[in-house]
Amino acid sequence: MVDFFGETLFAYAVVPLVKIIAAIAVVLGLIAYTTLAERKILGFLQVRTGPNRVGPWGLIQPIADVAKLLGKEDVIPNRAVKWAYVLAPCLVVGPALIILSVIPFGPPSSEGPVSSWFITDVNVGLLLVVAIASIGVYGLLLGGWASNNKFSMLGGLRSAAQMISYEVPQGFSLVVPLLMAGTLSLVGIVEAQLAQGRWFIFGFFPFGFLAFFIYFVAGVAESNRNPFDLPEAESELVAGFHTEYSGMRFALFFLGEYANMIVISAVAVTMFLGGWLRPFPNVGWLSFLDLAFLPAGLAGCLWFLVKLLVFLFVYIWFRGTFPRYRFDQLMDLGWKWLLPAALMAVAATGLWKILI
Amino acid sequence: MSWAKHFLDKIMLLDLFAGLGITFRHLLKKKVTVQYPEERMEPAHRFRGMFRLDEERCIKCTLCARDCPIDIIYIDWHQEVNPETEKKEKLLDRFDIDIQRCMFCGLCEEACPTNPKSIWLTSKTYELATYERWQNLYVDKRELEDWRVRPAYTDEEIV
Amino acid sequence: MVEVDSSNLSGDTLFGVEEMEINFGPQHPATHGVLRLKLKVDGERIVECYPVIGYLHRGTEKLFELHPFFQNVPHTDRLDYVAAATNNLAYVGAVEKLLGLAVPPRASYIRTLLSEMQRISSHLLWLATHAIDIGAMTPFFYTFREREIILDLFEEYCGARLTLNCMRPGGQPYDLPVGWVERCAEFIEGFPEKIDEYEGLLTENRIWKKRTVGIGILAPEVALEYGVTGPMLRGSGIQLDVRKALPYEMYDQMDFDVPVFYNCDTYDRYLVRMEEMRQSVRIVQQCLEELPEGPIMGKRPRVLKAPKEGDVYHAVEAPKGEIGFYLVGNGTPNPHRCRVRPPSFYNIQVLPEMVVGGLIADLIAVIGTTDIVLGEVDR
Repeated sequence: MVDFFGETLFAYAVVPLVKIIAAIAVVLGLIAYTTLAERKILGFLQVRTGPNRVGPWGLIQPIADVAKLLGKEDVIPNRAVKWAYVLAPCLVVGPALIILSVIPFGPPSSEGPVSSWFITDVNVGLLLVVAIASIGVYGLLLGGWASNNKFSMLGGLRSAAQMISYEVPQGFSLVVPLLMAGTLSLVGIVEAQLAQGRWFIFGFFPFGFLAFFIYFVAGVAESNRNPFDLPEAESELVAGFHTEYSGMRFALFFLGEYANMIVISAVAVTMFLGGWLRPFPNVGWLSFLDLAFLPAGLAGCLWFLVKLLVFLFVYIWFRGTFPRYRFDQLMDLGWKWLLPAALMAVAATGLWKILI
Repeated sequence: MSWAKHFLDKIMLLDLFAGLGITFRHLLKKKVTVQYPEERMEPAHRFRGMFRLDEERCIKCTLCARDCPIDIIYIDWHQEVNPETEKKEKLLDRFDIDIQRCMFCGLCEEACPTNPKSIWLTSKTYELATYERWQNLYVDKRELEDWRVRPAYTDEEIV
Repeated sequence: MVEVDSSNLSGDTLFGVEEMEINFGPQHPATHGVLRLKLKVDGERIVECYPVIGYLHRGTEKLFELHPFFQNVPHTDRLDYVAAATNNLAYVGAVEKLLGLAVPPRASYIRTLLSEMQRISSHLLWLATHAIDIGAMTPFFYTFREREIILDLFEEYCGARLTLNCMRPGGQPYDLPVGWVERCAEFIEGFPEKIDEYEGLLTENRIWKKRTVGIGILAPEVALEYGVTGPMLRGSGIQLDVRKALPYEMYDQMDFDVPVFYNCDTYDRYLVRMEEMRQSVRIVQQCLEELPEGPIMGKRPRVLKAPKEGDVYHAVEAPKGEIGFYLVGNGTPNPHRCRVRPPSFYNIQVLPEMVVGGLIADLIAVIGTTDIVLGEVDR
């Protein structure tokens, strides 16, 4: 009895709760500032400054945006299906944030799970990630259908079709680092990269690169970003599933898109880019990059953050450069090109592992 | 080996990387934004902005009113004997321009026969917003003279 | 109106084919103005497309009849408000033909120069809006950066940036300011690199090609039947350019090529306009070098009165096609009738031809490539 209410409670209930709150707070802040970063970086790519009025370099802009959205009128269309209308934004944001619970931001510590830099380490972590990401599609479908607007429904259906068809190559491309590591646990995958002395993107050359590339392109399509953002493009006839939403609900959809971006990048960093590891994990003379003067694990966290920010920059860079695919060309790309390439990468990696 | 090059182009996505390179280079270039209203771009010398009327130079020939393509200049004048010089002269009663409709084409300025011109548009003023619609309805001669503007060009200043 | 036999649209299916009628309304970010399209779609395929115009009608042709010839020049600016100099040129050329006025050579060179600068500016705007409709947002900002410089040059010359009012019957109202020729030459020197930049972003890009190759096919016979002119026609393989066919101003002394491509699709029209920009650069450079000295306004009577009976049609190659003015005089200083032949009005007629059978996303691309300006279509 004493055990149950003493240390165990602390280790398995209180500490994870604190970590969850901390992780969500950090990620929400990151999402808010990603919106600012997107506007600023898009501006810089387009030889103009982005927002710079609200604070120095526009740093208070996200807070101003949130305040504005909170102040808007909460409109529910007359004949919309109310429960679905209200639930849909939550179903878009929720799964993205849930996946954060298994992603390792930093190294596990030797003293047990309390002071590790992740919320939990499930030994089927990768499976959990892929499974929960699929729930995100429900939010779009419900949002589009519940709006009682034929254009929203069409947009929602298109979005959902796009997301489902890109989940397949995404899942397959994640099998390649899985084969290289031999374990489904995300912490285990990063530790395997440490043990093998290289990031998995460089492993089994060129299949590591191919798998990474397929994963990233599928990830861009999953989060409905340019060049795959036809379902929500403004100059199209159908403005997408979030036409009828306003105010904070629309903000939640928006947040969900950015949360998706961040989570996909985080998974890519963990699987292919070595999570919390520094660039050349086993090269001795580069160990100064481990930043040992920081408390244990914080350096790993910082490396994770840096890699994540690089991914976010690449997302924004893509948005500023490419035109968008038409919907049928988009589906073509997913089913006819990415899926066979992913299958080929998996088969080749498997063969390589057996024969060599 | 053009088929090999074509194949490599398609697989290695060189066209997409070229596009990415172009936009990346622009990240490092100077921005072209003008921070209005702290910085303001000065219009050119001949910019056709808001009017200015000089009542003394005006000879009340009403050529400007006649030449306006949309007939928005309203001029009234009468003749009077000036007590000081004992000569008949014209006095301007009314010179109203309907700024709501004006398209700032400059034909009135071209029509004006005096040199330097009595009505001109090179005042470099384009900030004409008002809070109420009627404030722009008729701009009478007192307001036309009050604009803090630059003087008109004379013929020697061209080229 | 083009109709497709809708009895066997989706092949043999168990389900009935239902068409949805969508109003691609007057207010839409992609229609470049107030164009309304009534679409009938089957899923995503467009079955029928019916343009409805007239939302920007301002009675310009009636306004022309109320004022003397030289006062109508500002009204012509507002027809194709993106390319005002060519509109002015067409009208002023028509008036000169009707009244028999002679234009001094310096004025003629200045007019050619302004027309070509206007062509570059209009094509830059076309590229910006076409690219942003298809999804590439950055060419918009890059082209507007160059367009700013052109508009600044226009501002220095005639005082306005968009509604220029820069030509008069008989010559030019102003001469070039001090230093204008140097500034213009400097801009033109650096411009071909900028065209290369836009091409680097778009021409070889596979996504761009997928969105524009094979989209919006316009057969040459159909184009000729409908009276389509300009880059739409030259993208379908017909070499017809008013500058070469019926030369006006100084074009017969200029050395330039007219680009023609033969695939009749959106990509080819894009290539035609990009190449036209390069040819315009050549013409501008030649004009700047050969600019003679002399007067800028020809001899003209104090009151421009038209002859009793006489009508004239004068056409000019605007960036969008052939713009023409048909002027009828009746002995008074006002025109009796002035009819405008707007290129966008004729180009928009082939929109249903190009779009039926395609997807809605292609409709956006095709509207962009038609390069319409509703000010012209509706007058």
